[in-house]
Amino acid sequence: MADFLTRHTKDPAQKKLDTARGRGAYEGFRRALAMSRQEVVAEIDASGLRGRGGAGFPTGRKWSFIHAKEGQSVYLLCNADESEPGTFKDHHLMTFDPHLVLEGVAVGAYAIGAHRAYIYLRGEYASIAETLAAALREATAAGIIGQSCLGSGYDLSVGLQLGAGAYICGEETGLIQSLEGKRAYPRVRPPFPAVHGFLREPTVVNNVETLACAARIMAEGAEAFARLGTRQSAGTKLISVSGAVERPGVYEVEMGYPLMQFLSHEAGGISGGRRLKAIIPGGTSVPVLTAEEAAPLTIDYESMLSAGTMLGSGGMIVFGDGTSMPHALLRIAEFYAHESCGECTPCREGTGWMAWVLRRLLAGEGSPGDLGLLLRVGDNIEGRTICGLGDASVQPVRSFIRKFRQEFEALAPLPVAFPAWQLHGHGPRTGRFGPPVEEAAQSQPVEGPPDYVL
Amino acid sequence: MPIVTIDGRQIEVEPGTSVIQAADQLGVEIPRFCYHPDLEPEGNCRMCLVEVDGFPKPVVACATPVVDGMVVKTPHTSPVASRAVRGVLEFLLVNHPIDCPICDKAGECSLQDFYMHPDYGQHRSHVDSKEKVHKAKRVDLGPRIVLDAERCVMCSRCVRFSENVTGYAELQFIRRGNHVELVSFEEQALQDPYAGNFADICPVGALLSRDFRFKRRVWKLDYTSSICAGCSTGCNLRIDHYDGHIERLIPRRNPDVNRSWLCDEGRLSYKQLAMAPRVTHPEQDGEKALWVKVTAAADERLRAATLGKGLPLAALASASATNETLWLFRRYVEAAFPRHLLEFRLAQETEAVRERQDKLLRRIDKHPNTMGALHLGYTAGMGLEGLAREAEAGRLGALLMLYYPPLVGEESEETKDRIRRLLELAQESVLLTTHHLPYLAGAKILLPVAAWSEEEGTYTNYRGTVQHANGAVGSPSAARPAAEVLGDLMRQATYGRPETEPGRVFAEIAEKVPAFRGLRYKELASRLATAYPPEGRMPYGKDGFTGH
Repeated sequence: MADFLTRHTKDPAQKKLDTARGRGAYEGFRRALAMSRQEVVAEIDASGLRGRGGAGFPTGRKWSFIHAKEGQSVYLLCNADESEPGTFKDHHLMTFDPHLVLEGVAVGAYAIGAHRAYIYLRGEYASIAETLAAALREATAAGIIGQSCLGSGYDLSVGLQLGAGAYICGEETGLIQSLEGKRAYPRVRPPFPAVHGFLREPTVVNNVETLACAARIMAEGAEAFARLGTRQSAGTKLISVSGAVERPGVYEVEMGYPLMQFLSHEAGGISGGRRLKAIIPGGTSVPVLTAEEAAPLTIDYESMLSAGTMLGSGGMIVFGDGTSMPHALLRIAEFYAHESCGECTPCREGTGWMAWVLRRLLAGEGSPGDLGLLLRVGDNIEGRTICGLGDASVQPVRSFIRKFRQEFEALAPLPVAFPAWQLHGHGPRTGRFGPPVEEAAQSQPVEGPPDYVL
Repeated sequence: MPIVTIDGRQIEVEPGTSVIQAADQLGVEIPRFCYHPDLEPEGNCRMCLVEVDGFPKPVVACATPVVDGMVVKTPHTSPVASRAVRGVLEFLLVNHPIDCPICDKAGECSLQDFYMHPDYGQHRSHVDSKEKVHKAKRVDLGPRIVLDAERCVMCSRCVRFSENVTGYAELQFIRRGNHVELVSFEEQALQDPYAGNFADICPVGALLSRDFRFKRRVWKLDYTSSICAGCSTGCNLRIDHYDGHIERLIPRRNPDVNRSWLCDEGRLSYKQLAMAPRVTHPEQDGEKALWVKVTAAADERLRAATLGKGLPLAALASASATNETLWLFRRYVEAAFPRHLLEFRLAQETEAVRERQDKLLRRIDKHPNTMGALHLGYTAGMGLEGLAREAEAGRLGALLMLYYPPLVGEESEETKDRIRRLLELAQESVLLTTHHLPYLAGAKILLPVAAWSEEEGTYTNYRGTVQHANGAVGSPSAARPAAEVLGDLMRQATYGRPETEPGRVFAEIAEKVPAFRGLRYKELASRLATAYPPEGRMPYGKDGFTGH
């Protein structure tokens, strides 16, 4: 167990400004204010901090993209719309150490030159809104946030916005649209938020945990953070583990911590004396791992990537043996079908279609080739959508079917593999709509679609 | 300027041009639903996916700006792009009702065109109708538009038009995922005076024109390009007609005048032509007469009442007439009547010609050619009121009047009264007009002329752009283009043998009138304004297998 972020979260009094300041809260912000903006960015860059929301993009680099022109305002948005299934780490931080989060927001805002910052809080987290608002009131009253923060001459106001409960609001451009009062339809990139973000001004969107890390880094120095974890994955990671474990909850571990050790020690082992069947390591948007695949892994970006999955948000879901993977997948697919914002075609229609086919399979009404159909629909979604939700919806479907093939095949009557040309509609042509048959025969064969012979 | 290669063909374009715009300039078809040249790109339909060298996955052509040296491959040449587009099109058909046989958009529907296309289509839907998501089938959106939410492809063209073009912001999507549905604000009728455009910009059969619904299959229609005569803006439009009847008016794209839009009043202006009975035959003192006799009689009686008595002729033209008609009208009056009072205004046309009625297209002056009249040497004279005063005082010999009832709105009561009084007071009057109207009953000789949409000619809009309109349908019975009638009048008394064919009259105008110098009729007639999507874009268009 590491305690870089969660050192004081066990004490309910940590919510109070006095207690928190007694333990060094806002010292990081004070130190940042004494430095120049560029120095803060460089410090974060040196620490090796990477985005904790799921993508793992280096935070210092992200901040360095902000180049405000004359007359432009810069905004820092804190993404507290923690809606990835299986993820509840930010909930923990905001509930038990709201001042750490606020300090992170202040540090981030100072580093990018923003004078306004917003915390976009998930609608379902209404109970935390009061905690955060109280912390904000205290910090403002104490002169930490507001005009001339800590007497430095730097102004910052922080707003708190509650969402209305949509997964898409956690996508950064969807969040920006929602914050602007619009329907949370993600925007086409480019332009990126660093150029055209909130109110068309340069904007940085950071995850709660990322900002909390930044606050601690400023307090303890880049060195202290970089010392933790592995060479490429510095620091610690909050893991919210749920599912078939004895002690589900939020744990902070050093990057590079062995996955199996985490399950057996921190999480207390698989519940009910069962055996491990599968793990989704970073929220449902990342590919699932079988027990065999998971055994040698460690908790860090590179190790997960080597196994074809991602650390993601750290929302770990554990499946014990006896779990029906098709049923689990249906639950996940229905989530994406329900949460697809409906803006772009592949995700809007594809997620619903995948859920429908799965429902049909589980109802015993599947048809031969339904599994091939699912994979093909996934291929048609992936990489063709405006935001990452489309790609995210495909990962579980593809990995579940590939890795637990027998369970799915047992559902599909006559699991006959689809010939590739039937799947894609450009095989032998009749000549009515395509080129004449003779011509087609002479021309180069069309680059073949992936083969779904399972 | 960046040079981009699309499907092996190079083009140099302005910096900031998107790939789809460059392709449009090249004439390479990239399929699209949400992109529209007069709306902000949104990139949501994903139909315009193309392969760009150096990019890991297909990108949307509508939201990708070109950079120098970019090599783009469309579905026509790239298997990657083709597969992407096929996938997207298949998705669009998952929950689409595919009720083309009863859909009014069939024949001009992008979805239909694309799925019949060899490079994009799957020619099939994998889902049968009982599995589809069902939505509202007939939603009343007011007097102009009916919505079929099931057919909607959520391209948001209408939403963006409503928000960014007219500013009424009355349409929005509700719900999520494949349950997303288009609704109007609080499910009320649309207030937008440009609502008709929703039916045009909708790429599928979701938003339909209530006026055109169930009237005619689009492949039965004949298309004629014309200019709206509803006000001084001069929007470019297309008259769609069948068997001599106008079925609808839709805008033609002209970025300099009306972009792709048309107001509802202009769109329905053709209905005004049927609001009163047409003058079908020449009439002399209340009796039907033959053209050969009536033109001679008209000319003779006008001259007898003016030259014979030493009194002037009041010549009242119309700002709704074409430039050619106005030119001949003035030539006739000036040649035959040395003393004349030339006027073309009924009210405040010259003051209102540039005045806007709203932010988008409509203007206060409801005459299409006020500017043309001014350019052709008509000046503000004594006005209707002044002419009536002269007649009352016995200082007018006769009245020659050309009158077209307005196509948008009605003549004010005041103007009607003045026209009625003038016609009653005139000892002798010859009226060239289109409709039998109560306030025109006083005319001694009535000559039926072709109305707008029935004759060819040019109009000059509020800012002096000369635009060409074609005749689409025939005139009723014996009505003839006013230019021909005026030519006959001139010929009667051998004031000359004027050309009356619009092209030749225009050549004469271009030679003699500075404002028209350098313009050529044929060029005007083939001017760029095209319907959007451009005609002939469809792979199986009007003359393809769906033909007549």
